[in-house]
Amino acid sequence: MTRWLRALLACALLVGMAGTAEAVTRGGTLTYARYADSLFLDPVLNDANVDIWILTNLYDTLLQPTADGKDVQPGLATEYKMSDDAMSLTLKLRSGIKFSDGSPITVNDVKWSLDRARNPKNGIWSFTLASVDSIDTQGEDTVVLKLKNPDPTLVAALATFNSAILPQKQFEATPGATDEEKAKAFAEHPIGSGAFVFDRWQRGTELVIKRNPHYWQMGEDGKPLPYLDEVRFPVIPDDATRILKLQAGEVDGAELIPYARVAELKSDPNLNMELFPSTKVQFITVNVRPTLKNGEKNVLADPKVRQALNYAIDKDALAQIVTFGIGTPLVSFMSSATPMVDNHGPIYAYDVEKAKALLKEAGVAEGTEVTSIGLAGSADETNILTTIQQSWSAVGVKLNIEQLDNATRTARYRAGDFQMRVSLWTDDIADPSEITSYFAYFPNIESLHSGWQDKSVDELFLKSQQEMDKEKRADMYKTIQQKYVDSAPIMFLYESPYPVALRKQVKGFNQIPLGNNIFSGAYVEK
Amino acid sequence: MNLNYVVVRLAQIVPTFFLIMVVIFVLVRLLPGDPTSAVLGIHATDEAVERINAELGLNRSIPVQFGLFFEHFLRGDLGDSIILKVPVMQLVLERLPVTLFLTAFAAMMAVILAVPMALVSAIRRDSLLDNSIRAGFQVGLSMPVFYIGIILLTFLAAKLRWFPVGGFGDSFGDNLYHLFLPALTLALSLSAVLMRNLRSSIIDVLDAEYVDFARAKGLRHRVVLGRHVLRNALISTVALFGLNIGTLFGGAVITESVFAIPGVGRLLIDSIYGRDYPVIQGLTLVLAILVCLVFLVTDLVQAWLDPRVSHS
Repeated sequence: MTRWLRALLACALLVGMAGTAEAVTRGGTLTYARYADSLFLDPVLNDANVDIWILTNLYDTLLQPTADGKDVQPGLATEYKMSDDAMSLTLKLRSGIKFSDGSPITVNDVKWSLDRARNPKNGIWSFTLASVDSIDTQGEDTVVLKLKNPDPTLVAALATFNSAILPQKQFEATPGATDEEKAKAFAEHPIGSGAFVFDRWQRGTELVIKRNPHYWQMGEDGKPLPYLDEVRFPVIPDDATRILKLQAGEVDGAELIPYARVAELKSDPNLNMELFPSTKVQFITVNVRPTLKNGEKNVLADPKVRQALNYAIDKDALAQIVTFGIGTPLVSFMSSATPMVDNHGPIYAYDVEKAKALLKEAGVAEGTEVTSIGLAGSADETNILTTIQQSWSAVGVKLNIEQLDNATRTARYRAGDFQMRVSLWTDDIADPSEITSYFAYFPNIESLHSGWQDKSVDELFLKSQQEMDKEKRADMYKTIQQKYVDSAPIMFLYESPYPVALRKQVKGFNQIPLGNNIFSGAYVEK
Repeated sequence: MNLNYVVVRLAQIVPTFFLIMVVIFVLVRLLPGDPTSAVLGIHATDEAVERINAELGLNRSIPVQFGLFFEHFLRGDLGDSIILKVPVMQLVLERLPVTLFLTAFAAMMAVILAVPMALVSAIRRDSLLDNSIRAGFQVGLSMPVFYIGIILLTFLAAKLRWFPVGGFGDSFGDNLYHLFLPALTLALSLSAVLMRNLRSSIIDVLDAEYVDFARAKGLRHRVVLGRHVLRNALISTVALFGLNIGTLFGGAVITESVFAIPGVGRLLIDSIYGRDYPVIQGLTLVLAILVCLVFLVTDLVQAWLDPRVSHS
């Protein structure tokens, strides 16, 4: 019942805001410079953030993540209700909604889209809908998801990009023998349900999306969103050039501003230097197996050594050096913006004496060597490793740095052929289950290929995946996080926001903690 | 010019080309890492990796893969990009004209800068003018391409707004305008190499007896310089110019990324990082053909300038 109420409240809030809001500007183009182009505009088969982060502008989902990324709000569905036994979820489709080509969005499109998204043969995201057993439609506006087991993550999954609604007929009419071939062809000129519609795309140069005249959501002025006529995404890989373009007024916004330039752009009177809260966590994956791939004994198999090395990292200094003070030390393995994070402030506060005592207890000799892989050419990773190298030398541990290119380090990582590697993670779904299944739940990918396993954590995680009581689930997550942090199969470094610079005239743009760039409420003041 | 010479040089390209094809094909597969990591991301499960490898045919032996690739190549099919999921030929056709435009523009600019300066420098040997010109080109030669690029962008584009900050135009004139700074960036180091080489060749030729003889015949200064000095001095510079076109393609990779130009350079780098085998193979082949053709043209021009070349 509370969810029905929340949905109603959200609508009421939107309507209420219409009366009081400042005047918005309609029309015009916003040019947003990106560091890399999209690769594949299919919500189900894509993988990269360059796709995920703009897909929701083209394809709407039944539910949407809230602006803070922690909860969901109505999308193409106005209401949702979980049955008392938590074995089925009923959703009511918004009336009169249309795809960007003007054809109606029907319950059949919804069923077909979700069936495609949950097919295990289709890409790597099907796990988000794994609990769905079958999908029924009732009448013209009701969709019922029958479940194999209770699933507390399902609602968040329906607000995630891969659950986007596509037009079944248009997709199936696209040439191609297999789903993937059709998807490739369809993604060249997609018809979607989002606030914007695909207009043109010159790969590696520019993607242009236009206003979807059939979009359902209302703006602050009581007329349908979006405000903008067009959003252009020129691809400008070089950081300095991207910023110069912004300063010269040739673009209205630029993403991924290097931390070193944030302070400078903050003082530019023509710009708004935004730091959007994110779920981005920076850490070092540690191989905890007793023996390394090359046959050597692994000193990091001992939790005491891992704890010691965590204590020996000066995270504040690290955040200062690498992120120019913008990042903050981690509070758990998940970001402080992830739901159910167990946040009691930073963990493993810098303590050289404690580190030394733990190393002594573990019998680690002075001058012991450990090795970490870093990405060749990445200034951030080099800074991280050289800073840690200095910190650890104070406790008598020598860090060797091995720089590899991305494909090589991924191959080594997957083969378990590493002692440590610098890593980065961003949540894709507004729920702690995704990050936990990768970091802490061994059966998925051996806990980030680290070989770390705590059977009680595995069991607790499986239990939490069916626990519908929010508080009980949060308790389970608290235990999981405490156990994980205590055993330290990673080096906990810092979390950092998304740095986006916008011209002062740009209003209403948001990048939510999951990374999605939301342009539906954006406009450029004249 | 000897027609046999042209035919022989053309025929030599075929085995060179085949060799490049084999080397690139094997080399990219010997690199650690594979395209599946780019397709699936780093957190993919082992089953997913195996499935994608099978789909892409990467689980077969390298000779079998090469056989298939070669068969498709003969039909003009370079395969599909693993990451971008579009035909490689389409990518090449979209991106190559941009890079060709940029390199041709840069090469032209380098010649326009180098030839007159070399002439002036050689004639006014060791004067203040000569030393200033040489010092100026030395700076161009010693600065890295990306640095020159950023400096030009900061001052001429962002501050003075004379030029756009990177990008590519919609029409021929617009392209010239957009690519002026990147072409200049590329041209600076090449023109320095050409200028230094040409200057010393001109000095050598100026000292030759046939130049004294031409002067003694009473030929006008301009005719002596144009017909006797420059033509003979150019022989080695043309060879150097041809050899450096390959380097120019290399420089274009960096310039394209600084100036956000959608050419093949950036695509090639991205494809190598992502181990996008079909794109690496396709682009390398096309670039190899181009470089081979440039070498051929260089040889022909040299043979025309100096008939002894085609008889040796």
